[in-house]
Amino acid sequence: MEQNPEYVIEMLHITKEFPGIKANDDITLQLRKGEIHALLGENGAGKSTLMSVLFGLYQPEKGEIRKNGQPVKIESPNDATALHIGMVHQHFKLVDVFTVLDNIILGAEDTKLGFLQKKDARKKVEALSEQYGLHVNLDAKVEDITVGMQQRTEILKMLYRDNEILIFDEPTAVLTPQEIEELMQIMKNLAAEGKSILFISHKLNEIMEVSDRVTVLRKGKYVGTIDTAGTTKEELSRMMVGRPVQLVVDKDEAKPGEAILTVEGLTVPSKVHKNDAVKDVSFTAHAGEIVCIAGIDGNGQTEFVHALTGLEKASAGKITLCGHDITHASIRSRSQTGMSHIPEDRHKHGLVLDFTLEQNMVLQRYYEPRFQNHGFIRFGEVRTYAEGLIEQYDVRSGQGPVTIARSMSGGNQQKAIVAREIDRDLPLIVAVQPTRGLDVGAIEYIHSQLVAQRDAGKAVLLVSLELDEVMNLSDRILVMYEGEIVGELDPKKTTVEELGLYMAGAKRQGKERESA
Amino acid sequence: MSFLIRQTLIYAVPLMIVALAGVFAERSGIINLALEGIMIFGAFVGVLFVRLVQQWGWFDVAKQMDNWVALQGFVLMTMAVAAILGAVFSLLLAFAAINLRADQTIGGTALNLMAPALVLFLIRLIANQNTLQMATGDAASWFMLKKTMFGFDKKAKLGFFASTFLDKVYLTTYVCIIVFIVLSIILYKTRFGLRLRSCGENPQAADSLGINVVKMRYAGVTISGALAGMGGFVYALTTANCASTGDVAGFGFLALAVMIFGNWKPLNIAGAALLFGLFKCIAAAYASLDINGDGVFLLANIGLNANFYRLLPYLVTLLVLAFTSKSSRAPKAEGIPYDKGQR
Amino acid sequence: MKEKTPLMQREGTRSVLASLISILIGLAAGALVVLLASAFNKSLNLKTAWEGIRLIFLGIVSTGRNAAGELSFGFNPVTFGNMLFRATPLILTGLSVAVAYKTGLFNIGAPGQYLAGTTATLFIALEIPTTVVPAWLVWILAFLGGMAAGALWGAIPGMMKAFLNINEVLACIMTNWIAANLTTWAFDVSNLKNTVENTKTAYIYKTSFNGVQTPKLFLDKIFPGSQVNGGILIAVLLAVLMYIIFTKTTFGYELKACGANRHAAKYAGIKDRRSIVMSMAIAGAMSGAGAALYYLAGNTEFYWSTYQSLPATGFNGIPVALLAVCNPVAVIFTGMFMSMLDIAGQQLTALTAYNEYITDVIISVIVYLSAFSLVIKLWLGGRKKKSAGPKPDANAEKAPAAAVSAAEEGKEAEK
Repeated sequence: MEQNPEYVIEMLHITKEFPGIKANDDITLQLRKGEIHALLGENGAGKSTLMSVLFGLYQPEKGEIRKNGQPVKIESPNDATALHIGMVHQHFKLVDVFTVLDNIILGAEDTKLGFLQKKDARKKVEALSEQYGLHVNLDAKVEDITVGMQQRTEILKMLYRDNEILIFDEPTAVLTPQEIEELMQIMKNLAAEGKSILFISHKLNEIMEVSDRVTVLRKGKYVGTIDTAGTTKEELSRMMVGRPVQLVVDKDEAKPGEAILTVEGLTVPSKVHKNDAVKDVSFTAHAGEIVCIAGIDGNGQTEFVHALTGLEKASAGKITLCGHDITHASIRSRSQTGMSHIPEDRHKHGLVLDFTLEQNMVLQRYYEPRFQNHGFIRFGEVRTYAEGLIEQYDVRSGQGPVTIARSMSGGNQQKAIVAREIDRDLPLIVAVQPTRGLDVGAIEYIHSQLVAQRDAGKAVLLVSLELDEVMNLSDRILVMYEGEIVGELDPKKTTVEELGLYMAGAKRQGKERESA
Repeated sequence: MSFLIRQTLIYAVPLMIVALAGVFAERSGIINLALEGIMIFGAFVGVLFVRLVQQWGWFDVAKQMDNWVALQGFVLMTMAVAAILGAVFSLLLAFAAINLRADQTIGGTALNLMAPALVLFLIRLIANQNTLQMATGDAASWFMLKKTMFGFDKKAKLGFFASTFLDKVYLTTYVCIIVFIVLSIILYKTRFGLRLRSCGENPQAADSLGINVVKMRYAGVTISGALAGMGGFVYALTTANCASTGDVAGFGFLALAVMIFGNWKPLNIAGAALLFGLFKCIAAAYASLDINGDGVFLLANIGLNANFYRLLPYLVTLLVLAFTSKSSRAPKAEGIPYDKGQR
Repeated sequence: MKEKTPLMQREGTRSVLASLISILIGLAAGALVVLLASAFNKSLNLKTAWEGIRLIFLGIVSTGRNAAGELSFGFNPVTFGNMLFRATPLILTGLSVAVAYKTGLFNIGAPGQYLAGTTATLFIALEIPTTVVPAWLVWILAFLGGMAAGALWGAIPGMMKAFLNINEVLACIMTNWIAANLTTWAFDVSNLKNTVENTKTAYIYKTSFNGVQTPKLFLDKIFPGSQVNGGILIAVLLAVLMYIIFTKTTFGYELKACGANRHAAKYAGIKDRRSIVMSMAIAGAMSGAGAALYYLAGNTEFYWSTYQSLPATGFNGIPVALLAVCNPVAVIFTGMFMSMLDIAGQQLTALTAYNEYITDVIISVIVYLSAFSLVIKLWLGGRKKKSAGPKPDANAEKAPAAAVSAAEEGKEAEK
């Protein structure tokens, strides 16, 4: 390939292998100066690996990187920094207990005899934040500021290092629609000032709105690069998944039956701050409907679910499940009364990663007479049961029931949990972010399972941060903001924009919604 | 009162410096459970060095001439030797924890078992008994600072300050305090300190900014080893008459507790060390403790069993841990091996 | 089940291999120390070093020196019997560390639990007059008392961990020293100090003074002249019992689940706090039982002024457990190995100018190696699994680091 100075950065024929997997297989990506270039692909398509290669975290087996047409070697983040490449990682790389300013200068400190000199740095950062409208409080600790401000801190980190090439790795996942709007504007400003931006995402709306060109990856392979102006969402999604994707979940009208779960005035104290994390939450979930609790991460959903399932204690309120008061019941007795729980964090709560798949399959029912005899485990029964679930729910793993859960892929781990919880056949399913981090195929599968459960007369309480999921799957939306239910919406009668206003606390309904 | 303060300082200073040793390791992300072992090793190395130098007669003349400046130089030299070998010994932990990504608790425990075993094995061979002592004389006659050295008359009645801080004290106390202050400043005010702390909180972030996590963690553990080795010798010199027995009576672990109680912050640690030093001092000297100088041995007269005072420091530690555990905040990444491949 | 067996064998082989390598390196390190020490000491030379090294490896079959002054080797029933006798408490403290480790806890508190067991056992065995209560009943009471005291002493750091989330290592170390002081205190004010044999200072009566001692169960016929008694059989029984509890029962499943992932166990309705306390109590009971069996032998005596030192038997439970990869049945064998090492150390002191502390050096090297042998095995196992399994293409990006990073991801997800 001949030199082409039109591009600031070129990654040519990059191949990166991990034991057993080709994470990047002959991928080419060319970034023009001053453009916003989107990198599109599903989870696991190889986007992050490619960026890690560019950033010097991984060394590719094959391929070449060029800056302004010149071949360069990037062996560490230091090299990337020297080439003025910077990145906002999906999980922010910030030190929580440091101040914003310390985080910005870390690794690029001014010193005098080894002592930190922060005065000039502060001036420079202040000027930058003025120039690009990136407002931060330099003396606040990172753990005390909002996610949006943390992201601005990350952007300032790049600008402070005079980076020319800015990589944004899934930057909108944690933001409200309004914050996303703001970020898009910031990115456009940066590009206008001559910065070149790589924007990694799988959200088609955002890519269509902000990017100039799109490069699509699928399963580690290069699919193509096209101008955004000349394409459509449908075409992009087909390129990303390799087949036409159903962007909408296919389901019938809900037929709500009797009340399964009633929550009245539930209040949960926070572990981090003095205020309540959940304030006076009341609602009812009926058989045969999917009720969704929507909201931005950190608005009390986690605490609410923990109080509902018994992992945490509520300070006030009443929970009734199938006619039984379970407000003070133990976790085990709640579950026996009729609640299954697909937890938010599959590694923390959902699985014992060092146990085998079959041991995990009976995690919620090992004590039932079917699986034990006078305290001795019936290994044969456990095996039969696990094999049945694996078969029925298509859970793939290396060694079937004896696979250590840790060695399974995230999608199959999640499928195992969904299988375990749905198979218990209980009237209420609490599903918290059931599709987080999964690829489209697994998402479709889990969504269809949840709809099937609804149609079988279960009450499904879905907690989700994904707007698409909320809009597509639910029959009723409750928006949670700062621990309160601020609105109840009908997904068929509302828009994403309106939902966003509720999630951001800009809009709220009065108390009259209680009637629902 | 002077006696009480002096005695408390004798226990508090090694605790403080060894707790700071823990801080440097943990702030870089490595749990250094081996503080106890490194102290034992440092104490042995220091005492052995003193003994050998005495046998070689390097300071015989100085001793005869009563050249106390030279003898204090001898103390400083020994502290340096104990620090250097303590650092070397700690490399065992660093290698296992950083390069081999070993379980840091087990690795530290191994060092804690290794130090007394090795030390006792050698002491037996060298001295044919279980204690290694100075070749001649005792700690007080060789190394203790006395009022006469500062030009006071032997019979002079000293003021409170001079009698507390200038008479019958060891130089090590002040060296340790200075080292403590200097290192605390380094930890908070320098580039090195900032980077070290970032490795203990979020090594992934540090790495993404081009900071060499492995190097930083080695630095943290090595500094930790040096401080603990030095602390071990100071402990042996000031509390055990410059003798090594393959034992520091759980002092390294107390230092860990002081570190946790002090929330990994030097200023709090200094305070916590004083508190614990007081309890250790009471445990060691309750019978001769004459608090207000009226000739009444208050604690001895209460008539509590000696064992009660002895177990007090450990019991207090446990209780203090119980009451402060909720508010304590360890470096986030401590104990987790860092792997570049992970993100 | 059929497909499982060969894998288990492979796992097992790997573990045994790793342990054997650790032992060999440990012994070699001991030999090296002996060699180095000999080089720097005028009274020692290569010949003495060679003797020392031979004793390190072959101490268990040493029979002293022959007429020519050379070391002699051969089977010695006394040494073997004594080895079994000394293995008894080591197996039990090893079990103590192993069962705690299986449930995610590092029990460095075995010395304290051992002391608690010692104190309770001796008080019961010596204070209940056998003129009133039959000796066998006193024996049983003393044994159970020792176990109970150990369990209680283990439960304390367990509770601190469960309810206050205090690192069990630190809590264990503090309770160790508290136990040492309390034990000294208790015996100091007791009337159990041995005043009959005037040559002994600061020793407590042997339990045989009150006519209480473990029956020999014919083992003395096999190893005449040695200290061996039925205690070793009880230790083996307890090891098998632990194995059954931890691999076959729902109770063991709960404890292990809680140890591997406390949050997931809680999510599944397992009482996580109770499980942690139970684990530590069981671990403590094992240490307590070890102390009970050692002192109920009737021919052992306790040095009560122990406030400045902790019993090595407790700490040596750590290498016993780690070498056995925390498998309760394997603990029986590693306990015996550790006891052999002990004997070798004694032979070294008795027959050469070297001393028994070299065995502690060897032990510490073994512990050091096991700190990362677990990691290496994990790494080996992880690699094997990945190449065997289907390519998890759905999540290819996460897969490379999946083995170890999963926990990390969990952490990140929390934020």
